[in-house]
Amino acid sequence: MFGNFSKLTLILFTTGLLFLESVRAPLYGFTWSDTLQIHGFASQAFIQTSENRFFGDSKEGSFDFTELGLNASIRPVPDLQFSVQVLSRRAGGGDNGDLQLDYGFLDYSLISNASKDFGFRLGRVKNPLGFYNDTRDVAFTRPSILLPQSIYFDRTRNLALSSDGIHFYSDHRTKYGNFFYELGMGYPDVDDLQTKPEIIGPQPGGLDERLSYVGRLLFEKNAGKIRLGVSGAIVNFKFEPVSPAQETGTIRFIPLIFSAQYNSEFWSLTSEYALRYSKYRQVGAITDFNRTGESYYLQGAYRFYERFEAFLRYDVLYQDRNDRGGNKVATGPKYSLFAKDWTAGLRWDITKSWMSRIEYHYIDGTAWLPVLDNPVGSKTNRYWQLFTVLVSYRF
Amino acid sequence: MKRLIPLLGILLTLLPLPQAIAQEVVVHQKVHQEEISRNTLRAIFGMRLLKWPDGRAIKVFVLQDDHTTHITFSKSILHMFPYQLRRAWDRQVYSGTGQSPNEVSSLKEMSEKVASTPGAIGYLSHSIEHQFETKLDLKVLHVW
Repeated sequence: MFGNFSKLTLILFTTGLLFLESVRAPLYGFTWSDTLQIHGFASQAFIQTSENRFFGDSKEGSFDFTELGLNASIRPVPDLQFSVQVLSRRAGGGDNGDLQLDYGFLDYSLISNASKDFGFRLGRVKNPLGFYNDTRDVAFTRPSILLPQSIYFDRTRNLALSSDGIHFYSDHRTKYGNFFYELGMGYPDVDDLQTKPEIIGPQPGGLDERLSYVGRLLFEKNAGKIRLGVSGAIVNFKFEPVSPAQETGTIRFIPLIFSAQYNSEFWSLTSEYALRYSKYRQVGAITDFNRTGESYYLQGAYRFYERFEAFLRYDVLYQDRNDRGGNKVATGPKYSLFAKDWTAGLRWDITKSWMSRIEYHYIDGTAWLPVLDNPVGSKTNRYWQLFTVLVSYRF
Repeated sequence: MKRLIPLLGILLTLLPLPQAIAQEVVVHQKVHQEEISRNTLRAIFGMRLLKWPDGRAIKVFVLQDDHTTHITFSKSILHMFPYQLRRAWDRQVYSGTGQSPNEVSSLKEMSEKVASTPGAIGYLSHSIEHQFETKLDLKVLHVW
């Protein structure tokens, strides 16, 4: 959330820029409203699992996965854009469909020419992590109905989703390829149902967001035939115990993601590898620990008959890379420390605006199973299957 | 036989030559630019470069993703596949970091819009009729 100071700064800054730019605007020979764009999307999925619950009572078949979004943007002058998107997401116990401000910021470009761009975004900005985090709730932009959960796990999605602060960006277009840099600092938004219990468990106490950092470097060669990226974040929290006698604790997460993609006319090969470091100090009932998780997936997609795309993916998550089998775990099942997911799916672009997908997962392990949907670890099953269908509309 | 040669010559000029069906990048006549590099063109059609060197806004016009001229333009001029452009636009539109290009539904609309919008850029298939229709209002950019 914004502190009062940064809110005030934002308002003053926006008003100032708006005034300046509205004075300059007539020089460019067109009016504001010409650049107003409104876009949106609506997706509904059906999920059936053989065991375990994923996004609602999926063993019985669940329709509890709905994503609705509406955005508007305006670019009164070439160097300035305002963008805002509201989102409603229903996903089992973790998201109840309340309207959220997904992003809302002003983007001001300080330098922009054929070889480079440099500018900043001020407000709530989507975090640039991996290939897919920035538009993770837009089914059209995902490679599958469920993003590879090893890296884009939905159970602590809000940690990664966006931050309230400032992001700098710079594009460099060279003869060797194009480089895209982004660097942001701000506060994550974890005022949702799911994040707190996933981070500190059922214990009482508060989580207080501290200044956090995110960054990404993308390199694109041959107009995006080859895309390589490295992105990461440092996310900080303070733990506030209920009793004033206890000391406040600290939590730090550092994900580091390496991304690679090859695109040809009919094939795309994508892989991402992530190391996720967590450090807990004096977080109430949780014993202090440092842990590094490891995730990766390898995905191949094939486009055919113009409107179809089939894909196959192997996706692996280890909560602790020094204990991949979960043998040292004291409470809960060993298989809750890993998840290996084979996925196959098909996408059909019915029209430009309508898209449908179908996909099947065979999963060994429950590491990314949402706790809110499965409160008792011992009642989960190690081997399970997930089948899902989705219909999506966008404009 | 000798009399046939001029006739053949006339026939040949009527045949569509390879360059006659090629794609051309066209801009509004007041755009102060005669040529453009392929990489700059990609930045423009990718909606990342938003102004001309003189500071005026660039207005990008495209045809639908499955229009033959759009497909040929993407592949032969930009050296990209249409799905890559669509993904790039979607990433920007749904993260708020950019806007989508203006979509037109025919080559006729493309030539009209580019001719009448200051700062506009688009593409046409270089056919004889379009040349006649638009040569007064449009400027062809040389791509290097």
